[in-house]
Amino acid sequence: MPYQHKPQFLLLLTKEWRELLASRSFWLLLLMIGPLVGHAFITAAGLYAEASGIGGGPAALSQGLTPLDGIVSPTFGAYDLAATFLFPFVAIRVIAAEKQSGGIKILLQLPGSLTTKISAKALVLLVAWLVTVIPGLLALVLWKSYGGHLHAPETANVLFGHLLRTMLSAGIAVAAAALLENASSAAIVTLGFTIGTWALEYVAAFRGGFLQQLASYTPASALRYFEQGLLRLNTTVAMLAIILAGFALAGFWLHTGRTWRFRLISTAVTMLLLTTIVYGANGLSASWDVSENRRNSFSAADEAALKQINQPLNITVVLAPEDPRLADFDRDILRKLRRTLPQLRVQYAASSVSGLFEKPEDHYGEIWYEMNGQKIMERSAIEQVVLETIYQLAGVKAPEKSAEAAFPGFPLVVRPRAAGWFFYAAWPFMILIGWWLVRR
Amino acid sequence: MLTSAPRTKRESHHSQIMSELLKVERITKRFRDRTVLKDVSFTVHTGEVLGLIGPNGAGKTTLFECLAGLMPANAETVKYREQVLAPLKRKEALFYLPDAIVPWAEQTVAWVLRFFEKLYGASASEFAGPLRLPELMKSPMASLSKGERKRTLLALGLMTPHPLLLLDEPFDGLDLRQTRDVMDLLKQHAAKGRTLMLSIHQLVDAGRVCDRLVLLSDGDVVGEGTIPELQARAGLSDGGVEEIFLALT
Repeated sequence: MPYQHKPQFLLLLTKEWRELLASRSFWLLLLMIGPLVGHAFITAAGLYAEASGIGGGPAALSQGLTPLDGIVSPTFGAYDLAATFLFPFVAIRVIAAEKQSGGIKILLQLPGSLTTKISAKALVLLVAWLVTVIPGLLALVLWKSYGGHLHAPETANVLFGHLLRTMLSAGIAVAAAALLENASSAAIVTLGFTIGTWALEYVAAFRGGFLQQLASYTPASALRYFEQGLLRLNTTVAMLAIILAGFALAGFWLHTGRTWRFRLISTAVTMLLLTTIVYGANGLSASWDVSENRRNSFSAADEAALKQINQPLNITVVLAPEDPRLADFDRDILRKLRRTLPQLRVQYAASSVSGLFEKPEDHYGEIWYEMNGQKIMERSAIEQVVLETIYQLAGVKAPEKSAEAAFPGFPLVVRPRAAGWFFYAAWPFMILIGWWLVRR
Repeated sequence: MLTSAPRTKRESHHSQIMSELLKVERITKRFRDRTVLKDVSFTVHTGEVLGLIGPNGAGKTTLFECLAGLMPANAETVKYREQVLAPLKRKEALFYLPDAIVPWAEQTVAWVLRFFEKLYGASASEFAGPLRLPELMKSPMASLSKGERKRTLLALGLMTPHPLLLLDEPFDGLDLRQTRDVMDLLKQHAAKGRTLMLSIHQLVDAGRVCDRLVLLSDGDVVGEGTIPELQARAGLSDGGVEEIFLALT
């Protein structure tokens, strides 16, 4: 009777954790993330104080001063940089070290399936990110200690967005490390992917249409929703699917005993599944506005009125993709409408790419609303005008002007005391001590 | 060259171990246009020390990796106790210890041994003395010399509970005294019922430690059996493994 394997997930996890601690790339990431976060936080806090009227200067309207935009998103912006340029190297090392040392031949023979072993690696990368996020959390603690305000749901949402974004980078990095011969090729491919998504966003901004839809799933675009206090089911599902696909591909390519045929078929099936899920996720309209100032929602009265509308609404926008009016219309109106009206269909109908060469008869600048066979054209992208047009088409009575309390804003005139000392000196010192202790 | 005394011992041991553990039939492995293994077939008997011998490039490591399910063969049938054993199930029946690897390079020898102890519920202390591991315990794997690394890896292999252990070049990097010690250790291990298959390119070493031999040359099995059987096949009345190998290739 052959030897029966006993799965030892905890033991594998310990091994992966020790390997992570032995990795110089992880310690370098930790060393660099402190000053990066510190710089982002100190700059953000300074700008926030200026906007709040530090030094007797003019203060911005207090309603515009939200910690989400002013502190949380810019501070955690350092993690976007880390997820793009630093964390992939940690993820690549988790796979490539065993491939290059020949240790993979031992690992593949250890008890437990390859899924278990890849899961242990994924879990350790997740823990690595949690350790990396400590300076960011400390920045928030400092902010609170200055008397700053934080709204827990929107802050947690930003953290969740960064977690997904980092694990997405990790998924691509481990797949590349498993697929390619050496770590440097994997690094080139991973960075190439990121640059590719930037190129896609750039092209999509001019082309619009399907490319724009596709570009909304790039890591940077997806992260923007979280930074705006919006938790979208479709974005979350698509990102999770990409992460899982990355780790699954790593599993298929890491097992040297698999035939090329098996690997290629598995890769094709995974990519097909991924495409189906991402395409299907497009149809998931559920989303939650977790921002404190409800920036992604209409007023409660308008939302209640809009929910009475059961007919499909078609909106045709004759604005070029790079026209700032379209960006405003998308952000201020369409994002909210998509959340409220499930049967909304939007068509972008500018006939030229730039809008510069449209003739007057091409209706450039018009926005057409169609419901129940009726059409209304408006050029205004102001919320009140748009809503009145929709109510008129749907035959719904416009609600009374809302008596909801306006978002007060949270101005704070404070200098980021002790932050520089902590992020530029104490954190790097602690990391160096930690590294020295581990090396011992 | 073999001396008569150890051969007699081996033969008496061999007579007790004739049940078939692993049967390998027609393994073929091609890398593009080059056929590295050509219909390789042989049998591994329970409790024996089987030597896979051949010069560098004969296909020994490729054969081991195909057997262990770490490299897909173009054609093969491997039976474990007369049951076909699929490549992904091989790790349940055999453990393959590759040559020239540095697993978990940054970890100390003590940790690596403890990891295997916990993983397999085994004890490294049985092998630590003969393999002279105590002085290496605090050293990271990457800092070990070739011989030290080989001794550490051998301990890992010997701790595994699989009925069949494949060792790729187990004496490579060891000095004369260490080679003799490891040979003794392997014989003692086999005497406890473990089946060993060793890939060896030093033919004299193979003659000293193995009960039977599989001679591999340029991807072909040119002989399989005990030394007397191979001598007979080669038409030699006397001579060691070197003479047999030269006569058969």
